[in-house]
Amino acid sequence: MRSDIPDNDKIKVKLFAILRDRVGESEITITAPTGITVSHLNSEILKKYPQLKSFSNKFVTSVNCKVTTGDTIISSKDEIALLPPVSGG
Amino acid sequence: MIRITNNRLSLQQIMFELEDNSAGALSMFIGNVRNRGRSGHVSEIYYEAYSEMAEQKMREIENEAQTKWGIKKLVAIHRIGNIKVGESSIIIGVSSEHRHEAFEACKYIINNVKARVPIWKKEISKESQKWADGILLGIEKK
Repeated sequence: MRSDIPDNDKIKVKLFAILRDRVGESEITITAPTGITVSHLNSEILKKYPQLKSFSNKFVTSVNCKVTTGDTIISSKDEIALLPPVSGG
Repeated sequence: MIRITNNRLSLQQIMFELEDNSAGALSMFIGNVRNRGRSGHVSEIYYEAYSEMAEQKMREIENEAQTKWGIKKLVAIHRIGNIKVGESSIIIGVSSEHRHEAFEACKYIINNVKARVPIWKKEISKESQKWADGILLGIEKK
């Protein structure tokens, strides 16, 4: 492998509620460079699924069941989910 | 004891789980599906959870309540799936030595479940289906 070509990760992302309805799938896969941040991943998701653009400030991202900041670095081993505003109870 | 279930909630079973001879008080909160929502008439509500995370968060809340009030027993069960008007979506029960702890813990738990647990509801009527507005979860980890 040439060293100037970055490795890619296939990152699985779970979708819930209105986000899943809009995409039509409960899990999507994003191919992204190794060492990607949550913010970068979210940009890639919005590029691939423009129907989610109107929700860009209406969800948070969890990594291994914890809501994280945009600069968190993730890998394909992490469990990622996009969570719209919650309404349980 | 916390759990997420697809099954109808049994008050009798929960009362049984809360039994404790050292507890002088038992407080319960029961959340039912009502026939009106923000968009008008509702016939049922579809509840969905990110179950692994939801149970983790409910356990955190349980531990916090335990630490704050030293309660005897706690049961918090959230039902998911389609729930008809009049049926219960959540039951929280707390037993403690005295009433103050039971009341306070019960209130703390339901308020925090609503704000911190990844569960969503969709209001369903003959005319429409609409995801309810909610609360955006806060950042937990840097």
